Amino acid sequence: MRTMQLFLLREPLLHFFLLGALLFAVFEWLNRGSPAPTDQIIVDQARITALATGFQRTWQRTPDAAELSALVDNWVREEILYREGIALGLDQDDPVVRTRMALKMNFLADVLLPETTAEQDLQNWLEQHPEDYTLPTRYSFRQVFFDPQHHGDDLDARIADARSQLNGDSQEPAGDATLLPAALEDASSAQVSRIFGHAFATALANQPVAAWSNPVETGFGIHLIYLRDRQEGRLPELAEVSSAVSRDLAHTRSEQARDRFYQTLRERYIVHLPAAPIADRQE
Amino acid sequence: MNQSPAVSIFLVTAALLLSACSAEITPVAEQPAAPASPAVRNEDPLYSPTAERDYPTSVYWGDTHLHTNFSMDAYIFGTKLGPDDAYRFARGETIMATHGQPARLDKPLDFLVIADHSDALGAMLALEQGDELLMQNETLASWRNILSGDDSSADHSALHGVQTSAGLPKELDAESVRLPAWKYLVDTAEKYYQPGVFTPLIGFEWTATLGGQNLHRVVIYRDDAEEALALVPLSSTSSSDPRRLWQFLERYEEVTGGRALAIPHNGNLSNGIMFPLAELEFGDPMDAEYVTNRARWERVYEVTQIKGDGETHPFLSPDDEFADYETWALGDFAGVPKTNDMLFGEYAREALKQGLRIEAEFGVNPYQFGMIGSTDSHTSLPAVDESNFFGKHSLGLEPSPERWNTPVGERDGVVIPGWLMTSSGYAAVWARDNTREEIWDALHRREVYASTGPRITLRFFGGWNFTEVDAQAPDIAAVGYVQGVPMGAELTAGAGQPPRFLIRAMKEVNGANLDRIQVIKGWTDAEGLVQERVYEVAWSNTDTRRPDEDGKLPPVGSTVDIASATYDNSLGSGELSVVWTDPDFDAQRPAFYYVRVLQIPTPRWTTHDAVAFGITIPPYVPKLTQERAYSSPIWYRPD
Repeated sequence: MRTMQLFLLREPLLHFFLLGALLFAVFEWLNRGSPAPTDQIIVDQARITALATGFQRTWQRTPDAAELSALVDNWVREEILYREGIALGLDQDDPVVRTRMALKMNFLADVLLPETTAEQDLQNWLEQHPEDYTLPTRYSFRQVFFDPQHHGDDLDARIADARSQLNGDSQEPAGDATLLPAALEDASSAQVSRIFGHAFATALANQPVAAWSNPVETGFGIHLIYLRDRQEGRLPELAEVSSAVSRDLAHTRSEQARDRFYQTLRERYIVHLPAAPIADRQE
Repeated sequence: MNQSPAVSIFLVTAALLLSACSAEITPVAEQPAAPASPAVRNEDPLYSPTAERDYPTSVYWGDTHLHTNFSMDAYIFGTKLGPDDAYRFARGETIMATHGQPARLDKPLDFLVIADHSDALGAMLALEQGDELLMQNETLASWRNILSGDDSSADHSALHGVQTSAGLPKELDAESVRLPAWKYLVDTAEKYYQPGVFTPLIGFEWTATLGGQNLHRVVIYRDDAEEALALVPLSSTSSSDPRRLWQFLERYEEVTGGRALAIPHNGNLSNGIMFPLAELEFGDPMDAEYVTNRARWERVYEVTQIKGDGETHPFLSPDDEFADYETWALGDFAGVPKTNDMLFGEYAREALKQGLRIEAEFGVNPYQFGMIGSTDSHTSLPAVDESNFFGKHSLGLEPSPERWNTPVGERDGVVIPGWLMTSSGYAAVWARDNTREEIWDALHRREVYASTGPRITLRFFGGWNFTEVDAQAPDIAAVGYVQGVPMGAELTAGAGQPPRFLIRAMKEVNGANLDRIQVIKGWTDAEGLVQERVYEVAWSNTDTRRPDEDGKLPPVGSTVDIASATYDNSLGSGELSVVWTDPDFDAQRPAFYYVRVLQIPTPRWTTHDAVAFGITIPPYVPKLTQERAYSSPIWYRPD
């Protein structure tokens, strides 16, 4: 079926006939009765300002009098052709016009939405979608690093020494020099894992606060970690995330409004579908 | 058509309402509110050692050069993914690639610049939606049919090169098409901006091409939507001369009070004109105005990306055994073949050297640039790990058993086969925080470096007083910033003694070990001729390796098992650290120094493909790669 349509669209003889019929219709219509002008086109100040603004955006300057006059003439010309085209039904079955009109109707649904959202609606939305707003667990910690390549077989002994130092009152032992940060403050689990790897982040999640960890092995080497503070992930107060919440709620409402709008319109139509499933009828 | 007056009024009202809202620009700045911190410092001792440092403490990773379906060519190549998908992917979410493969980064990126081509920005999406202006043009109306049809048709293939072709329908450049696209891109960047967590910087690619010669630049703004929306991004249809772009950037700064910079890329596709040596791109003689403006606007060069690595070429650096890394030296976009004399104007190292020579003539170095890597991916997916590489574009180059042998591009007999794609690169910046201002400022002061993919951490400082002990300092940044200058900066003359460099590199978490650190020095000699030398300054496996009398270090070896596309870290080091003194220093001669860090060999993406898809790839396709990072240089200038 589709192939046939495409074929017809490309057929020059058909174009010729259609064009002939169209010209005939146009002349008939133009010669209809009295030529006295009845339709009105009003060019108001708002229109002129809009035309001038468009010009300015393109050319980065204001139009002079002659240019402005040409813009207005052109707009009037387009408006007349547009109206007459509509009257002739030229917008019928034009895919571009169809798409454009459908798009504009969608926007119309948006315009009908209330501009402000009640605080309580935001609060409800936040509570109904906790997974979208939950703040990640955050850690503050120090770490001492041991590079296996520097210690070879002495590595275990070196770490054992360091641990006994840590558990006593003596000064914190120096680990090996590294570009890894010695401490992170208020870092999310994702940030920790980006710098130290997943194994380190997992160890932090399971570690008691205010104590030194057992040795933790990562792709870099061995770490001893002192977890000073852990702020568990939590659902934030509305005030902390209100802009994100109102963005998401507005987006959902707009989708719903478009659907409702469409359904209202849809009820006014009876749609006749072919008897066989549509998929079977495509070539 | 018969309409009731009520319907007409309804439609007109709707149209008015619409024009009223579309004229409004409503940028959405949305960020989760930061938890309030107390304004007063308590009396406790300082707990966090990084809290009160005023130098950059963190390295942030990103891609400054990604294309989405808002780019004409990316759309034509078939990507279905747009800017939202790109941001979500970059910040770590799983996204379905155009060809139906789920894609996810091993580690999220910290920042992203969606740099869609400003020429015909968003035009293919507008055409798809039946934009009136575009559909009035017969050529474009026919494109719409071609693009909605079979992507293997001859008509479709004919469209592949249009992004870099001249004489395209002028409607593509219409403001009514590009402005709404730009608004969408800018608004989307605002939407995904979470300072401290994820930063979309606003930018675009200016796709100037002389014939087929690549003069492309990525423009990056420091600013937010308000500034970025003040001007529609410059397209290259009116002029391909970089001086025209610089005028635009100057205008942008004047109009908005914002800041902008431009990052050129792919000298290897410019056939000799990316870095003019005496005659400018369009034939004018080089002058003081050109060198001054280039130095002002182009402070960073994108040295490595999927269309080849641009550090240097074996013809230019015959003594550097690592020079032939993923080079593309076939021709330009028009298929004009490469000749050796063109190479001098194409590679970063040569440009850095020539810059010293040009400075002697004009008093300004036009090529005093820092270096970054980026992907230039046209799939909306900045994924360039060797084992997680989503290809150059979506027409046969996303992961598939055939992509190694699918052309990346083809013009007049020059065919680039898929296997030549380089799974590269990313940009690393040293900054205090993950925000637009911090990242842009780091680019501007060149405290940035390039990686071909792995997130190697690299510190590089130059000074006069570093001692060997400093290499083992627990926090070398504390020493480096106090006693020297970081990568991207200038060293001014000391008391005649040679400069010392404090360098430390660390492998990527769960990544391959490091083979070595090298310093590349370039200088002008007493005759004013440019020279270069590669120094081995720190390396792994020191028990078995020593430099020979020419200073060459034996290869580190390889642990790669090609059949399984695996390696292990039994060779190499996790970290390398050194203080290096230039043994050949001449205080009278200007010079630059930059660092190259090499990983141990790992399986190249083609080897990962062979294993993932169970295919055999011919012997001429490389099996291994030795990935690397390039620092921005430190320049020495005599008094």
